[in-house]
Amino acid sequence: MTEIIVVTSGKGGVGKTTTSASVACGLARRGKRVAVIDFDIGLRNLDLIMGCERRVVYDFVNVIQGDCTLKQALIKDKRLETLHVLAASQTRDKDALTPEGVKRVLDELIAEGFDYILCDSPAGIEKGAHLAMYYADRAVVVVNPEVSSVRDSDRILGLLASKTQRAEQGNGGVKEHLLLTRYNPKRVASGEMMSVDDVKEILGLDVIGVVPESPDVLAASNSGVPVILNDESNASRAYDDAVGRLLGEELPMRFLEEPKRGFFARMFGG
Amino acid sequence: MMSKPVDAAAPAPAIEIRFGQVGLIQVRVRSTDPGAILDELTGKVASAPLFFQRTGVCLDLTLLGRDPQLEEMRAVMDAVRRAGMLPVGLVGGSAAVESLSAALELPVLAPFRPQTQPVPVVQAAERVESGIPALMQQQPVRSGQRVYARSRDLVVTATVGAGAEAIADGSVHVYGSLRGRALAGARGETSARVFCQEFRAELVSIAGVFRVFETLPPELAGRPVQAWLDGDDLRFAPLGS
Repeated sequence: MTEIIVVTSGKGGVGKTTTSASVACGLARRGKRVAVIDFDIGLRNLDLIMGCERRVVYDFVNVIQGDCTLKQALIKDKRLETLHVLAASQTRDKDALTPEGVKRVLDELIAEGFDYILCDSPAGIEKGAHLAMYYADRAVVVVNPEVSSVRDSDRILGLLASKTQRAEQGNGGVKEHLLLTRYNPKRVASGEMMSVDDVKEILGLDVIGVVPESPDVLAASNSGVPVILNDESNASRAYDDAVGRLLGEELPMRFLEEPKRGFFARMFGG
Repeated sequence: MMSKPVDAAAPAPAIEIRFGQVGLIQVRVRSTDPGAILDELTGKVASAPLFFQRTGVCLDLTLLGRDPQLEEMRAVMDAVRRAGMLPVGLVGGSAAVESLSAALELPVLAPFRPQTQPVPVVQAAERVESGIPALMQQQPVRSGQRVYARSRDLVVTATVGAGAEAIADGSVHVYGSLRGRALAGARGETSARVFCQEFRAELVSIAGVFRVFETLPPELAGRPVQAWLDGDDLRFAPLGS
């Protein structure tokens, strides 16, 4: 049974593409067959984050318009053999996406036997974001612990509950998960930043993961290696925990507190 | 050439006379039986003590169909006071009322213009309740969403998010956090109220009279609160106080 997961947020720049890439890799690493699709037509960056930007021959719009087959457009990841990327078009705009076209592509991916289809949504609530969420079974709503991100996510949660196929057909609705990213425990402790509980209270949902703010994320984008593949990073471990929880595992939340520095670290400024 | 000397330190007058308008509850008396009046009005006051307790009421005798005796009227007024309301006038219309008013030392007030909606006391009991249950909203009302209960109350058993709107022709009840806008009495019902469990509203309106909350008053913020219309004034009070 293929599951379609949309990664969305409302607000831009909170970590949707970073999350899509890492979650896709996390699932593939556990042996699942995963396709990750970039819905940000005209402003594509999933291919950059995945490190396959120089291998994009055909894109999502090409497939919808019948210029090529799905197989020709899907890019196989070099590191994880069960992971495939469908890049967005850079030259077209979002009007090239149609609900029927998107449905056809998704149905074909389901027929191909993919376990998970991740839809990397663009920011906003317009056509691209709408189509990315429309056919979803589950949603990962990426939120920064910051007022405008929380407000926009509230809006997106409202849209997920009303303007999706599952909502319209009364099929139990889209299963919603919150993923808190760019969390800084030090700033939370000093009262500058919203805590996990603050976000949960306003949005009325539990979080599926808390990803700490980390310089490794920038390094990951620059090198085209999704951060989850960097074993040394706390962000990577947090993403891996989130993937586990998506699959139903019960894992305790980590990285909610400032790491305690050991004696020698404090002595020698390590 | 003589100029009148100006009195440099004229004392301020003890009183100022101004004309104002007040909303007044009208109690239409059908029977002068003090026991019955006491029972019914006590019940009314108990149903909404904040609204009715020690509120000024005007007594309208036209439904009696006759001119009551002075002693009857004293008993009626006594019953009204014991129920918790304060008679402050008689609705005028006849010579009998004029003489009663002089004896009872109450002003004669002009006959009421019928309001668009009936006033809560006594008349409310006569109005047939339609019995349609409230519109139930179990899901949070998210930012940008609007929920509207036509011709009935709205009950939300979740949060009304910032930037969301909860609207009803009747009352709005939020068993959760009210962070957005609540608009009760959307088609003019002035007796509609807004209730919430956690008050953080951006705007509250009843029958078009609204208040925006740029800051939340500390006595209301985060607490269970009800809002109601007192004439033209929108009033707020913590629930259960």
